[in-house]
Amino acid sequence: MSVTTTPADLAATGAPRPFRLRLIPPLETYPAVVSFAQTVPGKIALLLLFGAGLKFALPEWKELTLFLALITVFPQHRRLLVTLGMLQWTFLLPLEKTAFSLGLLFPLLMKAGSCLIGGVLFWCAVRFRRSLFGRRPILVLLVGYAAFAYVASVLVGTFRGAALLWSFSGIFAFYLWFIAYALLDRDSKDRDSFGLQLGTFRPFWGSTDTPYPKGSSYLRRIEARSPEQLAVVQLKGLKLLAWALILKEVFSAFQWLIYKQLAIPTFATAFEQSVHRAPYPWFVCWTSLVAAFLEAVLSLSVTGHEIIACCRMAGFAALRNTYRPLQSRTIAEFWNRYYYYFKELLVDVFFYPAFMRYFKKRPKMRLFFATIAAASFGNAYYHFFSEPGTIATLGFWKSMVAFQPYMFYCLVLGVAIGISQLRKRRPIPTGWVRGKLVPSLVVALFYCLLHVFADTSRSYPIHEHFRFLAHLFALRS
Amino acid sequence: MDQRPAIREFLKDLLATKGDSAQFSDGSSLLLSGRLQSLDAVEIVVFLEEKFGVDFADVGFAQDKIDSVDAIISLLSSSRN
Repeated sequence: MSVTTTPADLAATGAPRPFRLRLIPPLETYPAVVSFAQTVPGKIALLLLFGAGLKFALPEWKELTLFLALITVFPQHRRLLVTLGMLQWTFLLPLEKTAFSLGLLFPLLMKAGSCLIGGVLFWCAVRFRRSLFGRRPILVLLVGYAAFAYVASVLVGTFRGAALLWSFSGIFAFYLWFIAYALLDRDSKDRDSFGLQLGTFRPFWGSTDTPYPKGSSYLRRIEARSPEQLAVVQLKGLKLLAWALILKEVFSAFQWLIYKQLAIPTFATAFEQSVHRAPYPWFVCWTSLVAAFLEAVLSLSVTGHEIIACCRMAGFAALRNTYRPLQSRTIAEFWNRYYYYFKELLVDVFFYPAFMRYFKKRPKMRLFFATIAAASFGNAYYHFFSEPGTIATLGFWKSMVAFQPYMFYCLVLGVAIGISQLRKRRPIPTGWVRGKLVPSLVVALFYCLLHVFADTSRSYPIHEHFRFLAHLFALRS
Repeated sequence: MDQRPAIREFLKDLLATKGDSAQFSDGSSLLLSGRLQSLDAVEIVVFLEEKFGVDFADVGFAQDKIDSVDAIISLLSSSRN
């Protein structure tokens, strides 16, 4: 098994590279350190260092460190412990941390119900492989969920139990993409039992609605299989956590400098002023926009690094979620580097099925259509259903109309990535300025401008976003 | 016909276009390890469709089915059955 985790690490496996000053030394490449990390004192030192780092990152650092210690001591039961960890994090920790009440019990029961439905769906997909569900489980899951959410949103307020139905649709949305990954695993020869799949349903090392790092199938492939691999992966986890903590400090310093010292308004404030017809000068709006874009990159990097660091510490050589996005030379490359696991989710669930089925005789159309299916349609679907509260408040159709800015965002993103992929085979210009700096700036500028429409709150109509965009170019007062 | 050399050659060329000249064995993970990306999987799919007539709409697609030379050989033999 490869324990490669970043493109940079891959390059390190090729020809010898010149010396490069690093903020965090490449510990996993020092044989003495790797050997030490395999000994009992080495493991203890690693866990203590990691736990100390976690203290600055997550409130549940003690429980997490304890679980990572258990997995380190019993690597042969790693996957089982991952499932037990998930169960503890989902059901026991909330009960331990909060006084028991019915208000707490209902969400827990709904979570249990969602996992149970996930199990039944997984069993059906495996058992009835020739049925429509067995052949197209993801399609049935997503269409079924959309229909369920629609019905629940229509019924809200009509009878007492309808609110529960709606709450359940919201809780189920937390697990939707995790269940999707389990269903994708149905065909694998070495697929895991549902008990092990369950460990990946919002795993204990953390997650958003996007599964980090993908599903059970991926965990099988990237699991450390020897003490040496475990040592290397854990050292990489420690390094990544250290990097996350550094970035966290950079993030705080960035916010202090921009918003406190330079008194630049936040993007939300600048946008609101534009809506109220009292906009800041265009150059101030540009600064707010660029700051918001950089904030988004930094924030996602910190969150992703913390989660993946814990995952690596548990013995899985997961790739980073964010990897030097500002160095991207194409729009498609940025999308891959900025939010890797979200991109992978859309690729696995939307891109591949579309690519395997449609426009097989027309290669360019085939690639473009599949890209639109993922980056536009899949992206919009994911975000539309990830905020069920808004759907309940506005109603399904009004909520969809109010979602226009983000739908526009998805459409532009999909078309741009599609074109970027079709242009990819052109030779890359040489030289640092033409080959690296200019393309990176153009890509960052594109995503910066697109950020104007990256609004899933459904607070303002789309013409307000266009107004702000026009103001950036001093086209409106 | 032994398909292994043709597959190896294709994957080697694909890795080379990404500046990756490191050796890989028949069992080496290429996609799930991050050496190749999703778009490269598309290249592999098109190669297998054109060269060996595989129809992924029939056999079902997952990255692990084309993750290594061995996985692809296994896929080809199962798609013939």
